[in-house]
Amino acid sequence: MISALDISASGLTAQRTRLTAIANNIANISTTHDESGAPEAYQPRFSVFETDDAVRGSHGAVGVKVASVEIADVDPRWRYQPYHPDAVQEGERKGYVAYPNISVMTEFTDALEATRAYEANLGVIDVTKEMVQQTLRILA
Amino acid sequence: MLAQLFNSTTIPVLEQVAGFAQDRHQVLAGNLANIDTPGYRTRDLPPELFEASLKKALRARDQNNQPAAPGGYRRPSNPLAEVRGDVKSMVRHDENNTGFEAQITEIAKNQMTHSLAMSVLVNQFQLLGAAISERA
Repeated sequence: MISALDISASGLTAQRTRLTAIANNIANISTTHDESGAPEAYQPRFSVFETDDAVRGSHGAVGVKVASVEIADVDPRWRYQPYHPDAVQEGERKGYVAYPNISVMTEFTDALEATRAYEANLGVIDVTKEMVQQTLRILA
Repeated sequence: MLAQLFNSTTIPVLEQVAGFAQDRHQVLAGNLANIDTPGYRTRDLPPELFEASLKKALRARDQNNQPAAPGGYRRPSNPLAEVRGDVKSMVRHDENNTGFEAQITEIAKNQMTHSLAMSVLVNQFQLLGAAISERA
């Protein structure tokens, strides 16, 4: 019975990690150079989930974990800004700045989905707690 | 004596129902935790199978539950134990995903089953307590 709590908690952690990646993407929506200062459009991160055999109940109930946080490989959005310090200096894209190709719409929809899944796991935790309390009430 | 007393009530049945509801709750919790896991298939302990199995065990118990003869009463060796054994093999891997709403509904239904079993169980113990103390 208690392992149902662990399973729901693993769901909470996974969805929160996913939400962190989304927050990361939205925060960096206009980032045009990397940590070392070299001009590079920020690539959006996304998390990959898998079942976690370490968190398991009886009869095949399993938890979830974040397998990895992947970095997408998408073409940047080019914007003509010749006086920008990160603008391309030569070649056919001269004067253009590479902006991250992040869709706010997609990110927000994803965030909403993660939030709802988080809430669903919270709801299951409430149900589990109620069931345990009810069982303990036999003693009272 | 005490085992005989308990076996003549619905307590063992209710115990099985509550136990099944708790096990199934774990599986359903796992389904919701894995709602965004790619390739995950919905798992379940089918209640219909459990009910059929429980019914069979109950019928077996009732047949053996003859009134105590002068030669001594022989209680059948816990007939409901076999239900537990059956439940373990009931993990079902659905081909299709049953979806979010269906899972929530199943969890709610399962909780009601558990709640019902627990309420009746508490009531049964109260009745036994009343009988023992000779007051209601």
